[in-house]
Amino acid sequence: MWERVLVIIRKEFRQTFREPRMRVFLFVPPLMQLFMFGFAVNLDLENSPIAFMDRDQTPESRELLSGFQGSRQFNLRAFPETDEAAQKLLDHGDVQAVINVLPGFARNLHKGHTVNVQILVDGSNSNNASILTGYCGQVVRQFAEKHGAAIPFQSAVAVPRVWFNPDLRSRNYFVPGVIMNIITMMTLMLTAMAIVREREIGTMEQLMVTPIRPIELMLGKTLPFVAIGFVQMSLVTAAALVVFHLPFRGSIFTLILATLIFLMTTLGSGLFLSTISQTQQQALMSSFFFFTPAFMLSGFSFPIRNMPESVQWLTMLNPMRYFIEILRGIFLKGLGPEALAPQLLSLLAIGTVVLVGSAMRFHKRLD
Amino acid sequence: MNLRRGRAVGRKELLHIVRDSRSLSMALLVPFIMLGLFGYALSLDVNHLPMMIYDQDRTATSRDLVERFRATSYFDVKSSEATYQEIEAAINRNKIVLGIVIPPDYGKKMASGKLAPVQVLLDGSDSNTASIALGYVDSLTSVYSVEQIRGMANQRAGAHAEPIADAQVRILYNEDLKSRNFIVPGLIAVIMTIIASLLTSLTIAREWENGTMEQLLSTPLRPAELLLGKLAAFFLIGVADTVMAVLAGVFLFDVPLKGNLFFLGFTSFVFLFGALSWGIFISAAAKSQLIAYQIGLLSSFLPAFLLSGFIYSIDNMPLPIRVISTFVPARYYVSILEGVFLKGTGFRVLWYEVMWLFLYSSVVFTMAVRKLRTKVA
Amino acid sequence: MSNQALPNQEGVVVIENLVKRFDDFVAVDNVSLRVSKGEIFGFLGPNGAGKSTTIRILCGLLAPTSGQATVSGFDVGKQSEQVKRSIGYMSQKFSLYEDLKVEENLDFFCGIYGVPRDRREERKVYALKMAGLESKRDELTGRLAGGWKQRLALGCAILHEPPILFLDEPTSGVDPVARRTFWDLIYDLSEAGQTVFVTTHYMDEAEYCHRTALLYGGRMIAMDTPRALKQALGVHSMEEVFITEIERQEARAK
Repeated sequence: MWERVLVIIRKEFRQTFREPRMRVFLFVPPLMQLFMFGFAVNLDLENSPIAFMDRDQTPESRELLSGFQGSRQFNLRAFPETDEAAQKLLDHGDVQAVINVLPGFARNLHKGHTVNVQILVDGSNSNNASILTGYCGQVVRQFAEKHGAAIPFQSAVAVPRVWFNPDLRSRNYFVPGVIMNIITMMTLMLTAMAIVREREIGTMEQLMVTPIRPIELMLGKTLPFVAIGFVQMSLVTAAALVVFHLPFRGSIFTLILATLIFLMTTLGSGLFLSTISQTQQQALMSSFFFFTPAFMLSGFSFPIRNMPESVQWLTMLNPMRYFIEILRGIFLKGLGPEALAPQLLSLLAIGTVVLVGSAMRFHKRLD
Repeated sequence: MNLRRGRAVGRKELLHIVRDSRSLSMALLVPFIMLGLFGYALSLDVNHLPMMIYDQDRTATSRDLVERFRATSYFDVKSSEATYQEIEAAINRNKIVLGIVIPPDYGKKMASGKLAPVQVLLDGSDSNTASIALGYVDSLTSVYSVEQIRGMANQRAGAHAEPIADAQVRILYNEDLKSRNFIVPGLIAVIMTIIASLLTSLTIAREWENGTMEQLLSTPLRPAELLLGKLAAFFLIGVADTVMAVLAGVFLFDVPLKGNLFFLGFTSFVFLFGALSWGIFISAAAKSQLIAYQIGLLSSFLPAFLLSGFIYSIDNMPLPIRVISTFVPARYYVSILEGVFLKGTGFRVLWYEVMWLFLYSSVVFTMAVRKLRTKVA
Repeated sequence: MSNQALPNQEGVVVIENLVKRFDDFVAVDNVSLRVSKGEIFGFLGPNGAGKSTTIRILCGLLAPTSGQATVSGFDVGKQSEQVKRSIGYMSQKFSLYEDLKVEENLDFFCGIYGVPRDRREERKVYALKMAGLESKRDELTGRLAGGWKQRLALGCAILHEPPILFLDEPTSGVDPVARRTFWDLIYDLSEAGQTVFVTTHYMDEAEYCHRTALLYGGRMIAMDTPRALKQALGVHSMEEVFITEIERQEARAK
């Protein structure tokens, strides 16, 4: 039986690698995706464009200005002189905040009265608005401390110790998710397409006339993509480690084990999709439909914690959720199989159900 | 150019679309799935952060601080009697995002007016949440500190020590900071590119694979007529999806629509035209459905999702990526959408983006026509 | 460059020193011939001899490397637009839209070939009748058996009454009875004045042609009426003509 499986595997490999476009296609898109996600997705707020409207024009107001200028969190773009000009900057999206220092700022400072600094923030992107507000508040507070010589007392202050990602680089959070995204999409899509395309061309019929058994056909059609999936995984991981300096604190063994189990779910899903699609177009659209919501709901960028309760329960059926936790655990936290046992077992359970169910459906279709 | 030939192509395409009910229903469901995801399920709003507190001090002062954390909806204190090991394990298991350790001499230090540090243990893996959490902790402790100082100063000399400078913040355009408001307008751009990259990118490649492309090339059908015929058919789906997305956004998700509908429709038309032409271009270039699909995803959907400013701000990206994003048409369309929905701005403000969209659409259309002109070899 | 045809050339195909090279491989090697109006011209040869390549050049699908060809007086290189208006093409794969109904496929090609509105129904009925598909108007093309598809493809190619028909292996995979019927149709068309340029590797079909050309390795090794070819070699069937000529070529190559 294995001989026939091997024959099919060999044919799949030959077909896949013969076309030069496919050869490129297997390796360039994953890397491109990695770079797009890795470089573009950066929730760390840096370089936010702001405007500073100094209606006071005193050394003190300029000192406040230098607090904003010096920080790499801000990018001072404009110095509007009227309210209309400032509003226009915000409307156009040229700046995300306007710091408005009112006349009398320095005078009130010296008199020991409360001085107000007005900050107008573009709330369109609410997350950024929150963070930006925090940053602005920090600069103002630092300025206040310097001039708060009247207050000798300090008080409770938070001393943070950040684990796993001390520089709070959002990239470290994302990139494991991107790795998962890439291998999922590839293995899912390629498996489904391999089968459907053969059906479309008509060679499937040819195969069914031979002594080959359904299980052999299935193995032959899915195993090549396990290999390809692994190669892509290694390639993308290596690129992430080198280019993005993603930490890798766990063991390769755990990574391989987890990937193998995860591939059960993707290949099984690919098999399933091939049984419900008559044309290549349907296979491709179904894989997108199936995969994109699952990916969005996996916690790769949008924390599961933030989702409505009912949706959170739903994600317990999503293999990608577990795989992301495992990947983050391995890369960032250095966890091993014991600590990740609940996720690994959940993956195994889902993988088995999906694979066996799809296999049975596939078997039925052939008869 | 002969419109009749183009119309024959358009009619044929419509028949193809209608006959494949599976693909058609998927295409029409796209807006609802995306809106459901982004308008309902997915959120970057940070609230109810699970945390634990390890109070080593156990004085009235420290309990006061603990109460502050309990009182706010930003945090969800799971336990205030946790040990260090429990906190560590809970962070490892993703049960909590942060832990607070109040040192044993906290109360004493506070009473004597000395610096009283409180340790915050933060799970940094989700840096977005972590940053925001840190920000919340920071403002909570500083507000608390200010009150303490005021209280103590009042006790001492009866004089007030007012904060010297205070930042007064006004949030524009999205007063209650609902992330939904900023996501839904940009989502329309993403939805359109999904149609372009999914459906359109397959159409010519499929004709190549089936051999009907050759047949078409042997007829008097001109490339521009073929393109327009196909565009017309897919336009119907694109428009249907856009209208559904706008209606759902406004009526189901209460996203404001402050600007001009006509302007919205016009700019959407231009963008759709370009996005669909791009899909057809890819289809003609790739000649294989599988590859066309991948290229479509990589060049239409992903850039629209990642590089258009829809969720992830362009300003935060490194320079080379920012340069690349100037060639992503979705970027301009997202600005227009956000302007029309949230800010009520129109052509006068957004003329630059409209100009780019026009440029993009005409260039891509020309590219597609040229690509369709190729002979078999 | 004029848009006019050479005079009195309707339905005539002229090929002069046509060469088509794909990198190092010469698919068509200096072929010259002339087909008259109303003639059924057969293009024979083994697989890979250059038959399909030649037809595709004549249809404007491929660009010739060198040489010239005119179809109905229009140059295939410079006046491909006019060429396409005056031909009907049936490819090896029949190239019909499987998910469209029979009638819808016909409608589509009517639109593409610019059949005038007032003539459409008439032409459609003619095509359906010719193909024997009157009762199958509403049938999905994908469900038709091979022979029906073939006749439908022919029907789609003649809706606009082109002076010249190019048929590339039109009977491959079709049963003998259907093949015979098909050739009856071709005869009808030829008698009505249409030129039919057909490629095939069924030697018995070669007997049906007015004249045939034999292609081998991209070169034309024989061209004449079937009778003349058989007489010249002293054989009784085109099949024997074919085999003899091929063997001669292979001997010469050694």
